[in-house]
Amino acid sequence: MRFGREIDRLLFGLLLAFVFVGAAAAYWAISGADTILERADNPRRVETENAIRRGAIYAEGGIALAESVVNPDESVTRRYLYPVLSSALGYASLRYGVGGVEALHDNDLSGRTRAAARDLGETVIDGLLHRPQVGADVQLTLDLGVQTALATALHGQTGAAVVLGVPTSSLMAMVSLPTFDPNTLDADWDALSIDPGRPFFNRALQARYQPGATTETLLMAGALLTNEPLDTPIADASSPISLDDLTLTCAVPPPETRLTLRDAYAFGCPAPFADLARRLDVGRVQGIFDTFRLADAATLPGFDALTLPTVLGIDPFAAATPEAQPNSDGAITADNLLNAALGQGERTVTPLEMALIAAGIVNDGNAPQPYLLSGVRYPTELEWSAAALINPTIPIATAGTARGIQDLMRGAVAYGAASSAARPDLDIGGHVGLAYTGDSTLAWFVGFVTIDTERAAVVAVVLENSGDLGLAADIGGTALEAAWRALQS
Amino acid sequence: MKGAADAAPTRLGRGLMLIAAAFMVVNVAALTLARGETRLSDWGIVGVWIGSALVGSAILERALPHRDPLLFPLALFMSGWGLIAIARLAPVFADRQAIWLIVSTAALIIVAVIPNVLRLVRAFRYTLLVVGLALLIGTILLGTNPSGQVGAPELWLGFGTVFFQPSEPLKIILVAFLASYLAEQYPALRAEGIDAGKRRAWSLSPRIAGPILLMWGISIVVLVWQRDLGTAILFFLVFLTLLYVASGYTPLLIGGAGLVATAGIVAYQLFAVVRLRVDIWLNPWLEAEGRAYQIVQSLMAFSAGGVFGQGVNQGAPGYVPVVHSDFIFAAIAEEWGFLGVIVVIAGFAVMITRGLHIAVAQDGRPFQTLLAVGLTAVLGVQTLMIMGGVLKLVPLTGVTLPFFSYGGSSLLISYVLIGLLLRLSAEGADA
Repeated sequence: MRFGREIDRLLFGLLLAFVFVGAAAAYWAISGADTILERADNPRRVETENAIRRGAIYAEGGIALAESVVNPDESVTRRYLYPVLSSALGYASLRYGVGGVEALHDNDLSGRTRAAARDLGETVIDGLLHRPQVGADVQLTLDLGVQTALATALHGQTGAAVVLGVPTSSLMAMVSLPTFDPNTLDADWDALSIDPGRPFFNRALQARYQPGATTETLLMAGALLTNEPLDTPIADASSPISLDDLTLTCAVPPPETRLTLRDAYAFGCPAPFADLARRLDVGRVQGIFDTFRLADAATLPGFDALTLPTVLGIDPFAAATPEAQPNSDGAITADNLLNAALGQGERTVTPLEMALIAAGIVNDGNAPQPYLLSGVRYPTELEWSAAALINPTIPIATAGTARGIQDLMRGAVAYGAASSAARPDLDIGGHVGLAYTGDSTLAWFVGFVTIDTERAAVVAVVLENSGDLGLAADIGGTALEAAWRALQS
Repeated sequence: MKGAADAAPTRLGRGLMLIAAAFMVVNVAALTLARGETRLSDWGIVGVWIGSALVGSAILERALPHRDPLLFPLALFMSGWGLIAIARLAPVFADRQAIWLIVSTAALIIVAVIPNVLRLVRAFRYTLLVVGLALLIGTILLGTNPSGQVGAPELWLGFGTVFFQPSEPLKIILVAFLASYLAEQYPALRAEGIDAGKRRAWSLSPRIAGPILLMWGISIVVLVWQRDLGTAILFFLVFLTLLYVASGYTPLLIGGAGLVATAGIVAYQLFAVVRLRVDIWLNPWLEAEGRAYQIVQSLMAFSAGGVFGQGVNQGAPGYVPVVHSDFIFAAIAEEWGFLGVIVVIAGFAVMITRGLHIAVAQDGRPFQTLLAVGLTAVLGVQTLMIMGGVLKLVPLTGVTLPFFSYGGSSLLISYVLIGLLLRLSAEGADA
């Protein structure tokens, strides 16, 4: 047949080309699909994220703190209902990913936990029907009343504060300042990223501060263990002492009488504690510090996720802050004994860690481990699933020692430098301490309030660039009063 | 026995038409559900499609009982699918495309039922060539772009609000002219010893070299003056195919490929548009959010579609620029998935196979054979060029996907092409 051979070849060539097209389509649609879909510049990924019905965040008592609102175009807007919780909750932004508690519980809130647990049939049906991914609601231990009181009291300051319930160590409130408004995060991001105040940095959990005179509480534990006389007058107890380039003085001017060790603790006078550290010697001071876990970076379980890259591959801290500095192992030697003992050494501490020490003291020497999540409610369920509490308490002191320190702290509030924390009819103990960091000072308050024989609340407050210990104590007292009310009800 | 043999493909054609109708109804229903609202225009295109199918089938059944039974149902199936895709991607264009479907069906019927159409085409081949070249020159001088965008290729001639792309009819005109010319010249071509391999490419007589250079020249003119890379390549490849079939001389393909490559290298150096397309073909990922955005989004559409697709109106093919036109294949991949892609590829493969089958059936009638080959080659090469471009197999060339893409000229000419093939099939069967 005329042209038959050529037409056959042409047909073969064209059909072969169609086979190549089919193979290429198979590659992009099946084999290479995951690689290309995971690309950060895939707008469909953002669209998928935008369609996720993120679960709500509730406070203790079922008060909604953050919720997702579905817009008419099926996109979802995240709304944060209480500005006082900004630093505690973090943010969930389509453009900038997630941070804070939103990042900590992202798998539950975004529905990934449940999505991963679904069987193949459910996954296929959901995919075919384009059902949006629905996240679980989470309930936190945060108490809106305590949080509001603490955030209001701290307003205008730079610093952080943490309130824990005892004996459970539930995190009742957490404030870090300066902070941001997650409702306007996308618009504010550029300014926030270069803000020298580092608003994305959760100081309550991540910032490591010099403990300063707050270590006097630990040294008093050593004094109690070695039966140091607490009520014997000490010569020159209120005298200033020199430490490197620093001159350390009492936290507040003491009375003109000769002070005892108990008085020196109450008024925050450093000289008797320098002598006490020398008498305790390097080994005991090191032992006490280790026992109180001052060298450990205590964190909320899983809170290390806060520094991990977020969903869209953006590290919210990268542009805004340096990494949270790891704590030094802080080995104490004869040369640095006084620096370490008086809180001016290499050992640093987070506000959360200070609150845990207070929790251990008020809990008769047993430090509970902190937690924030109290329950999860999955989309198809009506009931909350309680979060598992897996951390046992850690002994940090004997009950006698702990109770002895409690009394000393009560005294500091009753008549000493922490008296601003006192509230009528409340059993409050506490201690203030000044820490020197560079050219500025930090004002600390660490305290507790008892509710009954078994329950209490503790607070740790730190104010940056401040020497106002009275203010720190007052803020602490306000928080403890709010916690007392919350735990009473 | 012939009647019984004809009955099977006829039944197949009718079955295909019913499947296509069901496909239209189901997909428009799905589109309505996915949108959450009923739009009359969506169901209007179903009505237009069914009307075109019924009228077209009835007339063809009566006028060309021995036509190829699959081509018309396949063309309707694919253009119906294209209509749904356009209604989903660019609803404002769907009505206009539906009107073009009516016009195109009418044109197909006219071309298919005119008894002397093939004889007329052959008789007036030089007139056709002059008309074609006039269209080309007219476009160069008066060309415009419907978008009005400054710097956009001016490949259209405008009549009020109606725009027409002269390169579309030029495809058929050139194929008809070349088929006619080569049908007369092929005995001489083969007699020159090419069959025996005695001649070498550089010693080709003007009889062969003349049309090669003419077509190459037209292609270069299209490329240089109109920056229409796709049409230029399409013209030349189709011509090369025809010349190969007519002469039976395989080295022509190699020589032609060399000419394409040479032109490509020169064009790469001279024209920014060619340089851009080659660069983003070689590595689109470097400029995924810049110059290569379109092809990268196209590949993402294939990946997003997976095997089963996202479902009509449930994907995000809108991220692919001009997805309703050149990149409609990517939209099909995203919303109908790999399975949909395979159906489209299979549809075109069947169409090509039928077209070449029609060519073979014209035994003893070289003009008809070469015309069927040329028309089929236009369809096949254009389809492969755009499919390959959208899938990053070859550089993007900016041609439409026949039957699917938005564009009246493209649809009309594709239907005229099918009309001619139907006429050829009927005459081949009767011969």
